[in-house]
Amino acid sequence: MPKNKVVPIEEAMSHIKSGMSIAIGGFIGQGDPLTLIDHLKTMDVGDLTIYENDAGYRDRGQVELVNQGKVKKIVASHVGTTPDIAKAMNEGRLEVEATPQGTLAEMLRSGGAGLGGFLTPTGIGTVAEEGKQIIEVDGKPYILVPAVRCDIALVRAHRGDTWGNLIFRGTSRNFNVPAAMCADYVIAEVENLYTMGELDPEAIHTSGIFVDAVVRANVSYCTVREDPLETAVRSK
Amino acid sequence: MGNAKQTIARRAGGELKDGQIINLGIGLPTLIADYVPEGVDVVIQTENGGIGVGPAPAPGCEDRDRANAGNQPITLVPGGSYFDSVMSFAMIRGGHVDSTFLGTLQVDEEGNIANWVVPGGLLAGMGGAMDLVTGAKIVHIVTEHCARDGSSKLMKKCTFPLTGAKEADVIITERALFRRFPETGWILDEVAVGYSLDDIADCTEMAYTVADGVRLDAYGGE
Repeated sequence: MPKNKVVPIEEAMSHIKSGMSIAIGGFIGQGDPLTLIDHLKTMDVGDLTIYENDAGYRDRGQVELVNQGKVKKIVASHVGTTPDIAKAMNEGRLEVEATPQGTLAEMLRSGGAGLGGFLTPTGIGTVAEEGKQIIEVDGKPYILVPAVRCDIALVRAHRGDTWGNLIFRGTSRNFNVPAAMCADYVIAEVENLYTMGELDPEAIHTSGIFVDAVVRANVSYCTVREDPLETAVRSK
Repeated sequence: MGNAKQTIARRAGGELKDGQIINLGIGLPTLIADYVPEGVDVVIQTENGGIGVGPAPAPGCEDRDRANAGNQPITLVPGGSYFDSVMSFAMIRGGHVDSTFLGTLQVDEEGNIANWVVPGGLLAGMGGAMDLVTGAKIVHIVTEHCARDGSSKLMKKCTFPLTGAKEADVIITERALFRRFPETGWILDEVAVGYSLDDIADCTEMAYTVADGVRLDAYGGE
């Protein structure tokens, strides 16, 4: 029987130390792991490097960690939805490495898949190729992008079981899938928690093999607050 | 002239072919969904993880887990589906998206596109634009002809950092439509009603050839 990975949020988050790299799922609010980010706000850590598509939406999300001075660098595809990020950059408080969205997703995926990197045509002839090795295959140039492994990943799922099998909802799947693959310690907040065997094995998006800790999401952040399937679990 | 953005979106809608898979950038390109011609059925992909994007939901039916890359609430048409970002960009980079429509800051004679950062300006990031211009089979640039200061956005050579090198295939502005072919460079195909060939020459910095059968008084209000 797979192990029960449900732990108190304090225990899961205690794995985060200053100077670590963290992959965070979500897309400008869609599927952002806000429960875990809110907990991180209360912790005494700093010098973090964050891999994420974006820094949240307006003043909510990873941008709050930046405003607290906890983040040294973010690697993201787009930070335009959080004006404070540009401010932090201009004031020299934050380094931002802009990376094409598809390249960033593949960096995390390939890190989780045991690859050293990958070849992409995206960004040939642009700043994205600066400092990178160009490799020709059949006469076509590609950028060699090294894979990324992170210390920690924070993701959010709509449904999860106690082993960490995850099911996402709508467009909140996004970077949660590659983020969950790329880190040594992966924490998933789930909106609806199930016992093992209750989720359809054919419907799992992220296997529990990638997940190390499962915590309850703050349901006030959920769009769908009650998942009808879950009432059975709650009433047990 | 009315609203230039609506004019551009309407003409861009006329480029759509039945059965195409398309991706619409944030801002002006999103308006194109309102101008899909009758009898033409296209499938809209959104790079944050959905295909088969339908009309906006009715007020009160918005769902935070169902949104496009600009964070606007969406619905899916029957047959649509959701996926993660790795899968989304496999579709985009892998050449499975027929056509993308993107706004721009600059586009030039060689088909170079610069639409993600103004040097010295606030950094936003390229998002999915670099992947889209690389992977989509046809790249449509939909943009107002001139920048706010009156200078041509259709330049001899882009001065801002590039989004893609030699990737633009079609430029649609409120004044004209150009198509680029490897052997000829940019061809002026249509001039919008209210403009003359001289008008277009005056506001276009990049070199182009006027098509033999150039359509004048195009973009008719019909």
